[in-house]
Amino acid sequence: MTVTLQKKICMLGGFSVGKTSLVKRFVESIFSETYLTTVGVKIDKKIIDLSDRIVNLILWDLAGEDDISSLRMSYLRGSAGYVLVADGTRPSTLEVALSLRRRVEADFGPLPFVLLLNKNDLREQWAIRDEEVEDLRTSGWWVQSTSARTGEGVDDAFGTLAEQLAR
Amino acid sequence: MTTSASATLERLVRPFSGDAGIDRDGADRAGIDRKALAGLLAQLARSVEPQSSAEPSDVPAVDPRLQQLRTLLVGHEIEVLSRLSEVVEDPEQLASAVGRVLPTAIALATNDARLGQALAPALAKATQSSIRHDPRTLVNILYPLIVPAIRKSIGETIDKTFQSLNESLKHSLTWRGLRWRWEAWRTGTSFAEVVLKHTLVYQVEHVFLIHRHTGLLISHVAAENAADQDPQLVSSMLVAIQDFVRDSFTGAEQQGLDTVRLGELWLWSEPGPFATLVAVIRGNPPEGLHDQLRSVLSRIHDERPHALESFDGDSSSFSDVEAHLSECAALGQRAPRTAERGFPWLVALVGLVLLAFAGAGGFRWWQHEQAWKHEQQLREAKQQIWDGYVARLRAQPGIVVTEVGRRDGKFVVAGLRDPLAVDPQLMLRQAGIDPTSVISHWEPYQGLDPEFVLKRLQASLDPPPTVTIMVEGDHIVAQGSAASTWIERARTASRMLPVGGPSLDLSGVHDINEGAIGKLSEAIQSNDIHFNFNESLPAAGQDGILDQLAGELNELASLASHLHVTARVMLTGHSDDAGNGTFNLSLSLARAETVRALLKKRGVDPDLLAVRGAGQFEPLEASPSEAARAANRRVKFKVGIEEQR
Repeated sequence: MTVTLQKKICMLGGFSVGKTSLVKRFVESIFSETYLTTVGVKIDKKIIDLSDRIVNLILWDLAGEDDISSLRMSYLRGSAGYVLVADGTRPSTLEVALSLRRRVEADFGPLPFVLLLNKNDLREQWAIRDEEVEDLRTSGWWVQSTSARTGEGVDDAFGTLAEQLAR
Repeated sequence: MTTSASATLERLVRPFSGDAGIDRDGADRAGIDRKALAGLLAQLARSVEPQSSAEPSDVPAVDPRLQQLRTLLVGHEIEVLSRLSEVVEDPEQLASAVGRVLPTAIALATNDARLGQALAPALAKATQSSIRHDPRTLVNILYPLIVPAIRKSIGETIDKTFQSLNESLKHSLTWRGLRWRWEAWRTGTSFAEVVLKHTLVYQVEHVFLIHRHTGLLISHVAAENAADQDPQLVSSMLVAIQDFVRDSFTGAEQQGLDTVRLGELWLWSEPGPFATLVAVIRGNPPEGLHDQLRSVLSRIHDERPHALESFDGDSSSFSDVEAHLSECAALGQRAPRTAERGFPWLVALVGLVLLAFAGAGGFRWWQHEQAWKHEQQLREAKQQIWDGYVARLRAQPGIVVTEVGRRDGKFVVAGLRDPLAVDPQLMLRQAGIDPTSVISHWEPYQGLDPEFVLKRLQASLDPPPTVTIMVEGDHIVAQGSAASTWIERARTASRMLPVGGPSLDLSGVHDINEGAIGKLSEAIQSNDIHFNFNESLPAAGQDGILDQLAGELNELASLASHLHVTARVMLTGHSDDAGNGTFNLSLSLARAETVRALLKKRGVDPDLLAVRGAGQFEPLEASPSEAARAANRRVKFKVGIEEQR
């Protein structure tokens, strides 16, 4: 029998970086998006099959705010890892992602995470320098450029995170 | 290292440690057997140079060089040892040394189960002693934990009571309610229980066991036919909403959301230390269900405390928990099968019941009304009787009513009463009034009413039967005949009557002496019986007079008896003045006695006759002639009429 694991994952990112679009297309969801604006969180599930086991990523999509102080940290309690999302066309969102990571690290210690640079399909508007990304990778970060529109890199990112968590 | 170095040295200087004779003849103060050492050194010398014949001899007892050697070889170790032994032997230093490492040691040993076992008894004792010393410490520690739990428990109990009360009230007067009352009576349960049983129809549809820390689903069970959504997502969302409430509203930090209602769906959350049990209930669950859910949750915690605490998303090992959850999901109260009943029949029955109630109510009202009327009539009748009584009292002579009223439910009458007046108590009984329901107060007085004056006169004058006294207008009139003594007394009494009151008219009373009895008396008194000189027997020829007298006396006796008076006839004997006075006295008495005897002989009652002797002292004629003397020798009669005694 294949072992099934559940892991709580938080989706973090600045305003309008496409987190919700990412999960909307690629995950199983039963709740409407109004939850985000009302309760401030929406739960979705992404099932990752890792051949020897199945990992159910329970995704807590937290309402995106550029002001990280308004983040409800209690939603992060019990998270096994998190997904940072930034908009590749807006460098400021990467700054928000970085500060979000610092905030999480300060409160919950080091947790596995991946950084998604979304809106990969808008290549001509891409505004984040490759060197910067390289720097992050060399410091141990797993960075993936994704496109919620084409689906590029999305499964890859969740799969990688699931592997890290199930290790 | 220090230990091993000193051990080597020990072996070196004491190759034969079993030899007990060493101490006897060569041990110096430092404990080194110098003789043995010398021997040892000589052997060493021989093994290096077999020819050596050096033998230890005359070893001095004390050799400072040896001490020096020792200091050189193991001086540092000795210093360390002495420092250590100093620490070990001084309790204070030892305590401070152990204290420095104790936290680290305990931290390192936490994984060893024995540490917990070893510390448990001491900790228990320490806790007990601390509580005994100052219970507030424990209270302060437990306060934030216990108070919300108590508050919640009390809240639920009150809810339960209200629920029961509400349902009971809601159904107490309906047709259904009556049926349930019957059921309660039949089954011997309380009405509230029956009401709850019928009204609280509910079904537990889903039970989630959610890990508190991560919000991940540990186990989920759904009832048959329950609509299903991804339980993992649902449970996480539930936790998210709990967090949301907890964050958003102050005061909810410690509690969170324990009840959510969506139409007929209820969401009840029972938090445990590591896992929360959430039940989705359709219908109207009784508050007592909280207890059942909590009991299941605590059983799960009791069975799997460690697995719950360290849950990391792998729920495969919790398959046994499902059995417990299924138990919860099976909970429910089905709607009781409604009997097929014809609506008109029900209406008719309800109508009948209502009519019966109305009839009973009307009858009761009528009864009440009748009773009230009856009472009213009784009261009126009593009042009438009373009024009549008072009126009669007022009409009574010798009674002056000054106050009539009611007090404390009793009739009150007060006034003045002549002792001769009728007894008001007797009148009460005659009127049929219970004397205990009347308060009477009578002051005595003497009335001037002619009736009372008459009564009083009759009592004091005691008139003979020949006299009748009656009231005529304002006067009292006496009529008839009476002895003059009575008439005299009556006159005196009449004069004593109060002025202004009725007077006594005695003009109608005649002195009986003036009538027949008077004539008879005169006739008797007109006769004398004559005697001869010095004789006590009457002179000859007087028998006729004696016979006549006897007849008259008997007539007098019968007339007196008829007139209710007493007649008395005095026979006085007389003598002439010849002879001795004393003799004459006895002669005159003898003459009277003789006459009485002679009259007695003729049938006269001797009690009527009294005798006396007057001697020569009451002469009829005082002349010294023989004729006068003869006239004086006689017996005279004197009739007296007196009131009867």
